[in-house]
Order: sequence, then structure tokens, then C-alpha cells
Amino acid sequence: MNPFNRADELTRRQFMSNAARTYLGVHLFPMLGGSIASAAPAKEIAAKARAKHVIYLYMDGGMSHVDTFDPKPKNKAIMGKTEAIPTNVDGIMVGHYLPNTAKVMDKLCVINSMNSTQGAHEQGSYVMHTSYNLLNTIQHPSLGAWVQRLGGPLHPDLPPFVAINTAGKRVGGGFFGAKFAAAPVGDPNQGLKDSKLAKEVGQDDFSRRLALADKMNRQFHNRYPNADVKAYEELYRDAINLMNSKDLKAFDLSQESEQTRKLYGSGRFAQGCLLARRLVQNDVRFVEVALGGWDTHYDNFAGVEGRCKEFDQAYAALITDLAACGKLQDTLVVVATEFGRTPELNAEHNNGRDHHPAAFSCVLAGGGVKGGMTHGLTDAGANKVKEGLVSVQDLNTTIGYALGLPYDLVLYSPSKRPFKMAGADKNQGKPVTELFS
Amino acid sequence: MKILSLLPIFGSGVTALLISVLPAGAQTTRPQDDPAYLKKAALKIDQHIASFYKKQGLSVPEVTDDATFLRRAFLVSIGRIPSAEEALAFLEIEDPDKREQLISYLLASPGYSSHMTNWAFDLLRVRDRVEGKPIDFEPYRNWVRTAIDNDMPWNEMTHQLLASAGDGWDPETAAVGYYTADRGMPLDNVANSMRVFLGSRMECAQCHDDPFGNQTERLDFYELAAFTNGQEPLRRDYMQELYDELNKGKEYATRKFSIAQLMYNKVYGLSLGGGGTGNIHLPEDYQYRGAMPGELVGARTPFGRQVRVSEKRPRDDARKMLAEWVTAKTGDQFSVVIANRMWRRVMGKGIYEPVDSYIPTEDSHYPELVTLVSNLMVEMGYDLRAFQHVLLLTRTFQFATNPNPSVVAGGDDFHGRKIERLSAEQIWDSLITLSDGDPDRKPRRGFDDRIKIDGKPVLVGQKTMTQLSKEVLALKSKKEVTEYYNHLVSLIEEGNPGDGNAGGNAMMSMMSGGELYDKDAMVRASELPSPAPPDHFLSTFGQSNREIVDADTREPNIGQVLSLMNGFVQDKLVNNPNAHLYQSLKDAKTDQDKIRRLYITILSRPPSQEEMGWMMDEVKTRGENGYHNIVAALVMSSEFLFLQ
Repeated sequence: MNPFNRADELTRRQFMSNAARTYLGVHLFPMLGGSIASAAPAKEIAAKARAKHVIYLYMDGGMSHVDTFDPKPKNKAIMGKTEAIPTNVDGIMVGHYLPNTAKVMDKLCVINSMNSTQGAHEQGSYVMHTSYNLLNTIQHPSLGAWVQRLGGPLHPDLPPFVAINTAGKRVGGGFFGAKFAAAPVGDPNQGLKDSKLAKEVGQDDFSRRLALADKMNRQFHNRYPNADVKAYEELYRDAINLMNSKDLKAFDLSQESEQTRKLYGSGRFAQGCLLARRLVQNDVRFVEVALGGWDTHYDNFAGVEGRCKEFDQAYAALITDLAACGKLQDTLVVVATEFGRTPELNAEHNNGRDHHPAAFSCVLAGGGVKGGMTHGLTDAGANKVKEGLVSVQDLNTTIGYALGLPYDLVLYSPSKRPFKMAGADKNQGKPVTELFS
Repeated sequence: MKILSLLPIFGSGVTALLISVLPAGAQTTRPQDDPAYLKKAALKIDQHIASFYKKQGLSVPEVTDDATFLRRAFLVSIGRIPSAEEALAFLEIEDPDKREQLISYLLASPGYSSHMTNWAFDLLRVRDRVEGKPIDFEPYRNWVRTAIDNDMPWNEMTHQLLASAGDGWDPETAAVGYYTADRGMPLDNVANSMRVFLGSRMECAQCHDDPFGNQTERLDFYELAAFTNGQEPLRRDYMQELYDELNKGKEYATRKFSIAQLMYNKVYGLSLGGGGTGNIHLPEDYQYRGAMPGELVGARTPFGRQVRVSEKRPRDDARKMLAEWVTAKTGDQFSVVIANRMWRRVMGKGIYEPVDSYIPTEDSHYPELVTLVSNLMVEMGYDLRAFQHVLLLTRTFQFATNPNPSVVAGGDDFHGRKIERLSAEQIWDSLITLSDGDPDRKPRRGFDDRIKIDGKPVLVGQKTMTQLSKEVLALKSKKEVTEYYNHLVSLIEEGNPGDGNAGGNAMMSMMSGGELYDKDAMVRASELPSPAPPDHFLSTFGQSNREIVDADTREPNIGQVLSLMNGFVQDKLVNNPNAHLYQSLKDAKTDQDKIRRLYITILSRPPSQEEMGWMMDEVKTRGENGYHNIVAALVMSSEFLFLQ
């Protein structure tokens, strides 16, 4: 007797989760278990942690530190067309492309002493996202996957990790598996695509399809036990829970007023920031939003101006909006990038700036981080870190610390190799605790 | 060669292949033109694998069944599943040579070059637009596509890309897009060239010496980059003053300024002046052995037969010197790397992995096999189609599926085909085969060389970008440029006063025939915008962004599952009664016939008895809807998404 013949008696919600339980994936053990909530972090870390969520804004291509968060007004030779402007915090200045950001500086903590060992895009963004160097023998989980794995989801149905406008390779689950990969949102205006039942399909037929597919898959699975094959079966279950969630509207930007939407600006990144705010309000753990085009080898000033236009408005709006709705307290907002740009200008490339991993800037806000401060210093030429060096692993560990996660807990890949959110032993990160109030 | 004359698709395919492998005008016969040569080469490879098994005391894997072979051969060689007609033709015929004939049929199909185009676009990072550059890379895209279409030998293609110079719109020199897409980042370009063509990873040396001291050092890297130095646009100096004036003046942001931008960006900006100086200044922060910061150094190759340029005597052909070195003076490195890339493409796994980190042949697990395939590549003149033909004819390609991992670390142990999810392009191309029928019957994407101002075509039927570019780049002074600009303004304003609607229906007037396809077109992935936009099906399933070499991914995510259950796949296929798949059911007589037909069309095999039972129940219970449910289930199944 097919249980779905009784479908009419059930509410849609019960019905759908029944479909998931009966047919999809539940008979399989999750590859690596769910979250490891039992692995409690050291008490002192957990006690101080204020952040529950992370919004990770990734400046793809290498954001020029000199032209944004680490201007050197006295050093005209490296500043070129960029002028430093004051902010609402005495003594802290930013590039003139960031007038709105300047007005929320009291909520920001600028790290001017970032340092990376990787100077090419692929390697640089890989280490930023995983704490490990790019290798050809293993895929490391990205930050969002670590947070999900160590902290678990906060919402029962919504995906814990969402990536907006981001290259799929950067936000994978790595050896944790597909369950920990980001749910991708291409266009924030469309939200999470295809999360509603196609209108021609009734619930009965929908579950019949799943039941048939499940029979097919069991067959295939018995023949070829393979991790990726399993992963798809689990994803079907998650997808059904999601489709059924009463909070699916978290993905729907049309629920926001026109005024709010305008506050952020109109680009994909800008609207992505607004979507990120909606998602953390609905208990999504980790949201990454990317803004591309920072690789300003050629005509740096035009490039930076163009990027900052979208960034500045959206970022300032996000900080203000989160503060207004009370979510800035428990949401850590990170501005990150793979490296900075060379302070000296390359005249042959119409005043371009090249890759500069030796010193660059990232910014934290919310989630217990002190506002209105800078951490670390570069020399007068913005070339090298002079004080308070923060490695890529230090930054990622600081994110783990803010969330109260056991960032130095060792987890093993299926190939039995040990890994930590804090990175490999020899360059394991340490949290920068003085950033927290 | 015996031809299955009962099956027109087979017969015509074989004939077409024989024609297609002979380049127009070539009189000399090449070894690969003889089918016996291809078979013999395949046999040699199999003998090597067999001796490996013997040495290891292992038994040779089984050869897979016809249905699995059929699907694998289609997906590997032309990137889509077979249509029902193609599947039936193969499955229902009994002929000992039918696998060989199928391979010939596939390699003669236009699907071959479509599928190879995806490979080339991923490897060479071919994009229609490059972030931050107001340039149209259409001619470069077309150049790569055409080179693949015409089986340009890989060594020649590499040479033309690396040695390119000149007019970006001229089909002869449009390979310059390889450099101009990376303008302003010549170091990244060199690092990518070394990785793509020679399997040398040098990107770290861009910023620092190898800390372990046994690989390329930063100085080596700059000396290599020196070959490609000097990548300014061709003669753009003549326009600089005019452009700056307009940029600052009251004309800024007017239509007249757009016309200036057309010349400045889309013509000059796509061109590549000079042929490479062969010297370069070290960066100001250089602080390693052997040289001073800012010092001028001459070009020098880091390994192989050395080629160098004196820093004091710059040249104008250093890029050509680099191209010659890469393709002919690096021992077997160039041929091994491409042979192994092709091996991976056909067999699912490289002889050594990763394929873009060359392992000296004597250090690899199978030096004799590496040498064999490398020699084969050279002997067949770097003809990638013929080389893949040989691999597809091997027994090794036909091994049954084996889900267990290889016991040889970083390489294949030839114990059988691994299970792998299809690429985004393979899934897309297969789905449109189901929804819209054989996509290879549609015209390929044309070369769009219309002149566009503010996105709208102008002077349609009067002048193309190719002509405009030729005229502009021939101008020899500031005065000539200014005169030409003024002339162009009046020409465009007269032709299209106001908003330029005259170019409205411009598809008809394209120079080179073919069609223009936008992101919503139901055509092969190779014909769509490159890359497809982020909210496209292709992007969800992991298509490369083509900013980084081979950035495609097959990692599952929840968006893919939603798309299969509710999205694109439902709209275009499952719930679309006009889909080709349902049309093809019309002549089926019984329910069983229909179910069988659906299985053949979607999974390229007939249903088992048990499956027939499930599906008949479905149809009995749900009637017409039952068929939609069956289609949905089959397309959602792992069997559809994975290559066996």
C-alpha cells in the first residue's frame, strides 16, 4: 500500500517531510555525520562568543589597500589620484571612494596588517577560504563549511551556508562532502531558484516521482557505492525540507520595501548584501557575497572607483541596517580579499597596481568586535607590515573565535589526514583577541 | 571498411569522417588517414596495459556491455547522450565491428568540435567579455572555435596563440585575444601559458623564490615573461590625444564619444602591437639572488634547449621565439602534456595526475606508455581528433566500470572506468537533446562582426568590424585618425540618425552566416554566451567562470537538485508536452513500448523486467501523468547524472 494514497489527509508540511523520510536518503547514514555539536569548545572561548552568524563579503581579485582602508595621505607618490578622507572616528581615514563607509567607521574594526604568502588569484583566494594552500591531492572545506561542521545549523530547514554571486569552487564542502557546500544564489533578485514546486505538478505526482527516482537510485547505488552518488541522494532530502520550510521567504527580496532596496543600491553585490541580512535574520549561519573586478593591474583608479561605488553604498547600508534591527551584535561581518595591490604605480599600464600579498587590509564588524579601531600598521609606503601582523590563518581563526567554535579541533578527511579550521600545524592561526570588547 | 548500410547514420558518418580528416588542399597522406594505422596504434596501447597487468599479477578487467559503451562513447567524444534513433541503431544491430563504426560516426559529428570547444574554452579561459575591459572578445572566441572545428594541430594552435600579434578582428590574427584578454597582467598570462602548454606551475614564482629551492625562481619567471613583454595596442598613440580631449570635453558620454570609444577600445584595445621585446625590468621590490630591483634583464628560457635575448638588444619577435621554444625545444614535455590531457579526457583519468603538473617521463609510473602516447601524438602531427580516435578504439576505453579508487597514487592503474558526474556542459547538452532533439542539426553560432554603438548595430550591410578595424589600424598619423573619426561620425549619424534602430533585425545580415544565440537559447553549451551567466543552469552545475584555467567543478549542491526537481528541467522537459521526447512517443503502440522508448531515450538502455513492472504500475495508476512522472524520475536518477 502506497502511503501517499492518504496524502489528502495530511498537511503539506507533514506530507513533504514524510516523502523525505520514506524515500530519500534517510536509509543512508550521512557520510561524515551531521555537525559535531558535542565537540564543545574550550569554555573561555564559548563564554565570550557573541557571534552566531557570519556575513563574509569577498572582494574578488585583490582589493587595493592603499586606495581603500590603508591610505597614506603624506605619501603622494603612491596615492596617485586617491585622496584620504576623514571618517566619523578621529584619526582613522579611508580613500575618498568610500564616503558612506566613512560614516559607519565607529562600528568597524580595520585590520591593516594582513599578510598572505600566496600572490596568485587561485592560490590566494583558496587559502583565504580554507586556511590551507592549494594542493592537487585534496579539496579543503571552505570557511562556511567549517562553520557549519563545527557549529551546526541554526535553522532546521534552511541551508546553513549560502553563497551569493560566488564562484562554486570557492564555497565547496571539500572533503566534508556536498552536504556542507553552499547553496548557490546567482541573482539575489530571484532568490534561491526553483525552491517551489513547479506549478503543473501536484503533490501526489511530485512524491510519486521521488519514489520512482529513489527506486532507481537504490539500484544504481548498490552497483556503484560512490560518495558523490550518495551526496545527491542526501541533497534531495535537504531540498525537500527546504521547499517545505515556512521560512523560505527569507530568500525573497520582494518582501523588502522599495526604500530599503534603494538604500543598498542596485547591483548584484548590493542586493546580495540585503539578501544576506534577511538570511541571517532567518538563522542562516554563514552567507558569502562576492564582488568581482578588483584585479586592477590596468588603470587602477578607474577600476577602484567603479568597484567602490557598489561596495561603499551596500556595505554601509548593511552595517547600518544590521545595527538598526539588532542583528549586528550577533553577526560578524567580514570584508576579505586575497591580497592587496602594489603601492607603486605601474605607469606602463595606465597607472595600474599589481598583486601585493605582503600587506593588505580586511575589515571586521559586529559579533562582539570593537568598533572605531584599527589593528596593525604598515610602513610609510604601505609596503610591509610593521606592527601586529595577521596571517590568513589568524583571520580565519578569529572568525572561529568570534563564533565560539573549536577552531583547533582536528578532524580527519576520509583519507585519514588531519585538518583544522585554524590551518596546518606549522602556520596554525591564533585569534586576535584584542579586537573583541 | 564495412559499413552498416542499413543504418544511414552509420554509413554517412564513416564517409564524412574520411572526408573531414583530410584538410582542404592537402595531398600528402598522413598516417592517421589509414584506419588500419589507428587500430594498430590502439592495439599497441592495449598491449602496454596488458603487460602491466601481467607484471602486477592482476586480471584484465571485463569489457563493458553495449549499452554502457554506447552512452560512454557518446558522452566522452561528443558530450551528449545518444538520441533514441542513434541508440536503437547501435543496440539493435549485430555486427562485430559496430563499436569501431560508432566511434567513426561520432568523431565525424559536429558534436565533436562542440564538445572540444568547451574543453578549449576552459583551458584557454575564453570569455566573451573580461571584467573591467570594454572590449568585445568575439573574434578571439571565433578564432578558437574555428581552430577546433578545422582540427588545427595542437602545436600550430599553441604557436599561433603564443606568437600572436596584430589586428584583433582579422580572422588571421585574432589569436591576439589570448594576450589582450590579459592586458595589464602579463605575468599571470605567462604563468598560465606554462601551466596550459607545458604543465609547469610557475605562478608562485611571480612573487617569490621557491622556498625549497628546487624549482623555478623568481628571476627565471621574469626572464620568461621578458619574451612576451611589450603588449601595447597597435598604433593607439595616434588616437591618444583625440581620445583624452573627448574624454575631458563636453562630448563626454555623448554618442560621438561612444564612436571614439569604439575605435579606442574595441579596435585599438583588442589589437596587439609588436612581437615581444625580449627584455623586462624587474620589479622594484625584487630582492632575490642574481639581480637588482628594477634591473633590466633579457629573456631566457628556464629549461629545455636554451633560447635567450640580450637585454641590450631588444627584438620584435620574442613571442615567436617563446612559441618555438614551447612547441619544439622542451624535449617531450609539450607532447606528453597534451597527450596526457587527451588521455584524461577519454579515459576519465590521466596517466599521471594532475594533468597540468608535468612529471618527467622517467619518473612516471609508466614511462613506456607515456613515451608511446607522446610519440603517437607527434607522429600524427598533433591532430587531437585522430589521437582521441586511437584512444577510443582501445580495449582500455571499453573496460567495465569500477567504483573503487585507483591503487596508484596520482595516476591511473587502469582497473576500469571510474564513476564520475557529468560535466555541466554534458548534462546541459544531454537535456536539450531530450527536449529539443539532436542539437547538432542546428547551425553553429555565427561570428558577430556587426559594428555596435551603445549596444545597437549600425552601418549594417555597409561595414563590418573586421573592415573597420583594418581601416583604423592602417592609419598612420594623428591627423589621419582625426579625419577618419570625423568621417565615421558623419557616416554613422547619416546612416542611423537618432537611436540607431536601423540595425534592428541584424541576424540576417551577418557576414559569416550562422546564428546569434542568447543565454536562453536551447543550443549546445558551446554556442551560448561564454561563460553562461551566474543564474544559468550551466553555472549551477559547475561550468567554469573561465577566469582561471579549468575552473569547472562537478561538486554537487542543493541548487542542482532544485533545478532538477522544480526548475529548468521541469519547465523545458518533464512538463512540456511539446518536448521532443514526448513527440517521439507518438508512434509507440503500447504502454510497454512507450516505457521502453523512454528508457532508451533517456538512459540509452531498455528497462529491466523489474523496472518495467514499476513503470507499468505508474502508468496504470496515473495515466498520462504517469509518463511525466517516469521522465522526471529517470532524469533525476544518478544513472542519468553519472558517467559509467
